[in-house]
Amino acid sequence: MLFYVFSIIAIYSALMVILSRNPLTSALYLVLCFFAIAGFYVILDMEFLAAMQVLVYAGAIMVLVVLVIMLLNLANAKNIPKDFHQMFIAVISFILLFFEIFLYAIKGSGKVPTGIYTTAFIKTIGNTQIIGEFLFTKYIFPFEVASILLLIAIIGAFIFARRKF
Amino acid sequence: MDINAYLIVAGILFSIGGLGVLIRKNLIVVFMSLELMFNAANLGFVAVSGYLNLISGDIFVIFVMVVAAAEAAIALGIAIAFYREKGTINIDKANELKW
Repeated sequence: MLFYVFSIIAIYSALMVILSRNPLTSALYLVLCFFAIAGFYVILDMEFLAAMQVLVYAGAIMVLVVLVIMLLNLANAKNIPKDFHQMFIAVISFILLFFEIFLYAIKGSGKVPTGIYTTAFIKTIGNTQIIGEFLFTKYIFPFEVASILLLIAIIGAFIFARRKF
Repeated sequence: MDINAYLIVAGILFSIGGLGVLIRKNLIVVFMSLELMFNAANLGFVAVSGYLNLISGDIFVIFVMVVAAAEAAIALGIAIAFYREKGTINIDKANELKW
């Protein structure tokens, strides 16, 4: 029941992201979509990821996007001409892409669960602790690489937004 | 709820994001559609890793979030530089590599 509510909200707001004329409206619908996806994470018993979704995506990235939209005064940039030939190709590839993903989902449905981290086991430890343990033991090298990536992103954003290259 | 339902919702969201990348001309809206595709992939990761009783998918979602945050900073820096250069963010105006 809750699944259908969240999926209807997510799909409707995703459609409005790409269909609305005003970029600011798109940004707010995208925040709504992120909240619906956080709801999916709660249903799937990953409360830590739901909190990260709301904090990082809806709280940090979308605030940055809305800031840039308002900084560049894009809310009334509506007179971009449409290219109907491009749209035709895009809609066909959209239908094909969805069909391929659907086929892939159907094909992979014979798998059986193999891991030991069942929902009951995760609930006894707590999913924040279990993610933290994995992040600092088995996945320590990707974690360090991710921190270097963030440092490079800071330097890159500074260089791009400078006035003179 | 069955895992196929989650995968189909993730597939629909991913396809909508791809459609937005292809049909919109506004650089910021293209960027937001890209974020939508990231999120659809994340939803697939969490659903499959919950079904197979693994943790690896949930860890991967955190790394995808890191990459998305880095990409947001870079892409919006490019958007600001592009607007300063051209006075618009219509991506059809980014044609200086064309001959």
